[in-house]
Amino acid sequence: MTQLADKVTKHQAEKNEIIRADDPWEPVGHTPMPGLPDLRNWDMRLLKTYKPFYAPFCDLCCFCTFGKCDLTGSNRGACGLDIATQQARFFLLDTCMGMSAHGAHGRHVLEYLIDKYGEDYKIDLGDQVEVEAPNIRTVLGLKPKTLGDLKKAVEYAESQLIQLVSSLHTGQEGSCLDYESKALHAGMLDHVVMEAADIAQIVGFKYPTSVAETPLVGLGWGAVDRTKAIVCCIGHNPVTALPIIDYINANNLQDKVEVAGICCTALEITRYGKSAKVIGPLSRQLFFVRAGIADVIVTDEQCIRTDMPQEAAKAGSALIATSPQVCYGLEDVTDKPVDEIVAMTTGLKQVVMFDPEKAAEVAVRTALALAPKRRKELAKPEDVPALAKDHKLCNQCSRACANLLPVGDAVESAKNGDLSKLASVFKKCIGCGKCEQACPRHVPIFRMFQAAASWESWNIRAGRGPIMDVEIRKVGQPIVFGTIPGVIAFVGCSNFPEDIEEVALMAEEFAKRKFIVVLSGCSAMVAGMTKDADGKTIYEKYTPQFDAGCIVNVGSCVANSHISGAAMKIANIFAKLPLRGNYEVIADYILNRVGAVGVAWGAYSQKATSIANGVNRLGIPVVLGPHSAKYRRLFMSRKEEEDWKVMDGRKAEIVDTQEPSPEHLAYVVESKERAMVAIAKLVMRKNDTPQGRQIKLTHYIGLHKQFMGTLPDDLQHYVRRSTDIPIFFKKEVTEYLNKVGWKEKPVLTLPTWIGTYPTKVPLDAVVH
Amino acid sequence: MTTTPLPYFHVNVLTGLRGCRIIEDPSEYAMLIKRAKRPLFVLGANTLTTMLGGKLLMEWAVEIARTLNIPVVATAHTKKKLMELGYPPASSYDLIEIINHLKDPNWHGVKKEGNHDLVIFLGVRSDLGNQGLSTLKHFAPHLKTMTLCKYVFPHASYSLANLRDDKWKEFLEKLIAELNVKEA
Repeated sequence: MTQLADKVTKHQAEKNEIIRADDPWEPVGHTPMPGLPDLRNWDMRLLKTYKPFYAPFCDLCCFCTFGKCDLTGSNRGACGLDIATQQARFFLLDTCMGMSAHGAHGRHVLEYLIDKYGEDYKIDLGDQVEVEAPNIRTVLGLKPKTLGDLKKAVEYAESQLIQLVSSLHTGQEGSCLDYESKALHAGMLDHVVMEAADIAQIVGFKYPTSVAETPLVGLGWGAVDRTKAIVCCIGHNPVTALPIIDYINANNLQDKVEVAGICCTALEITRYGKSAKVIGPLSRQLFFVRAGIADVIVTDEQCIRTDMPQEAAKAGSALIATSPQVCYGLEDVTDKPVDEIVAMTTGLKQVVMFDPEKAAEVAVRTALALAPKRRKELAKPEDVPALAKDHKLCNQCSRACANLLPVGDAVESAKNGDLSKLASVFKKCIGCGKCEQACPRHVPIFRMFQAAASWESWNIRAGRGPIMDVEIRKVGQPIVFGTIPGVIAFVGCSNFPEDIEEVALMAEEFAKRKFIVVLSGCSAMVAGMTKDADGKTIYEKYTPQFDAGCIVNVGSCVANSHISGAAMKIANIFAKLPLRGNYEVIADYILNRVGAVGVAWGAYSQKATSIANGVNRLGIPVVLGPHSAKYRRLFMSRKEEEDWKVMDGRKAEIVDTQEPSPEHLAYVVESKERAMVAIAKLVMRKNDTPQGRQIKLTHYIGLHKQFMGTLPDDLQHYVRRSTDIPIFFKKEVTEYLNKVGWKEKPVLTLPTWIGTYPTKVPLDAVVH
Repeated sequence: MTTTPLPYFHVNVLTGLRGCRIIEDPSEYAMLIKRAKRPLFVLGANTLTTMLGGKLLMEWAVEIARTLNIPVVATAHTKKKLMELGYPPASSYDLIEIINHLKDPNWHGVKKEGNHDLVIFLGVRSDLGNQGLSTLKHFAPHLKTMTLCKYVFPHASYSLANLRDDKWKEFLEKLIAELNVKEA
């Protein structure tokens, strides 16, 4: 026993040292640097109400040589695993991949910056951001002061990852719920590493911070100046892309070389240099590469096409890979002299190199050398019938389409000179290229898209990083009372089910309704790809201040941590709850009091999984587009059947609220109309004041009537007292409530789950 | 074990052993529906945009539902149109929500008369639909599923073949006619 106690103490002492426990900025909470079991009871409480819903994507398990095992229905695999647990296992695997991608990105950036500036380089996010790292503060219990502290956060996540991945091995975990708890753990860690990565970038690369009105920058392939040499950076990690801008500036080449990006690297370069351009989201990658506009393609990491060497070669673009994660089997030329490498790359020899400054020089010099020889002629409408001349309507392209689009019909119409269907398909295209691959007659469908696509350019507001403390101070109370009806975060990738405009349309609907609307990643890009009748995008029409009716671009994928961070800052700055190692209290606060909802309308990646899992553990629900049913797992309640009891914190009494708020934690919907109704419902929280609930119900009822034609048929669950009924709908709502036999519900003073499940956290920890 | 033909969309290909039974005879479909004690009809968003034989797919759905007064779940944003067509849905759960309920053998059903024994789907986006059907195949052995869309749905209990519009129209017309025939 003594030995065990000593070990525990030693482990605790190590943690105390890492987080500088003696540093008195806040008392250390119950779970500093939590391990796998430490928040398990919180997870199980979440999973009691929001049960996993599984939609197996594959009935088999082929992970080990016992298999393949058919797990259909009640079958078990040779190892004993059932289909539900296999789905949960897969989901944990996805989440670990996602978290690792962000974590490796963070480590790469940190190593680069620490090499440059040293571990003691100070973190300073400007005079408006004092709570600099809410995720790291809450999860680790560390208030990071330096790049070295951020590295500690990544190292902690890495130490957890090895245990999480270990549980995926055959003959390990046998419970779907425990796999889900581990996946929630990985999701939480994802926000820690994203935060470490983005803070490192902001301080190391001097991105804008403590400012809301970041510059508007050019968006769209039409915004790229094709008279210049063009370097196209693809991926997520700015370590090589930014030195390219530095090289151009240092050599006064701004008039001769254009830098543009696809996917999140684009957002990174526009946070660094105003002249850089965002070509577009992931779904436009193959289209742009095949257009052959880029003289040089520089890849870093994540969401890059894995056939980039083949595609770049076909397009006549040079390719420089720069990430140890993505080498494509290319020759490592890092140690060769620059002149020698430039000679290789201008001859279109594809290379990998790991020295960012050197790669930057090679990229720019290569682009300058290749640009005059660019053979690229874009397809014009009049070229289309000839391009489609071999087309026969076999629909192999349509059947292969990952977005179920009528590609064959569109090509057939285009062959006859009508490009309208092709333009419509392109707006919904997710850019996978399977259509061309499936075509037995090798019709160049992507080249035809060039003629059909709009070459318009738009504006996007450059990503701004953390929400400022002063903004939280202003909106904290209205959010918690419900008078600002909700914070809606449009996040994730571009695997959209329908038109690319849908995100802009939904974001604007909620901005108009005075919700707080934030965006990140590919969703932030596509939100700028729609103009109104006056030619304005939503970035030009709505305030960039984090306030009612705003449109805020926080930045790239890793900037998602500032969205979860904003919710934590509400608990900290407005409600004065300590963050330090205090995860359960903060999550409980957000779940019951902060009307935040994530919307990942086009999620495709494993990173989207881990981001969503991270906010789910914090009690923030996520609405997903239809493709996300392929993630295999959702978290859903059944509102009439679940237990909606909470503790009334001030009275220390359990109260049956009968109120399913929020109704689901991870939920797929089929159409944007349904999504908007769902979002308006999911912002309701038990803490809403009558005035706040009236406002939220006004939006829920209004959107429901608009899209469903009637009052919501679950209204009785969300009207607690007659004072909740919106004045605008008073008569019809009262009639409805009378018809369904509605009765007033108990009044709460402080809703919390603490005290309703086994936890070390005392009830008075949530009373403030 | 049944050999399931390839679905129309490759993304829906079956990775497993137990696939749907393809039924080509509308009278067999009609018999399965008639035999069901508590059938349920789930309509998806494509019923609002798909035209067949000059009619909206939703109109076909209402015609089918009316034959046996089958209760309808209006998923996505289909409720409004369904109200306009004079066939108010029994429920407006979204697709994943209704499937979540159907998994429970003790659920009371949309009419509070007990869970359903046959669930018929029409107009749900096919990749989402196939995923929902996967849930029911694995976790709802107490019920059968049937699809009326013109594609093979490998995870359904009963599915149509991949059909051209004219054949699909013919199938639905015959199905409606068969459903309207009163049992002796």
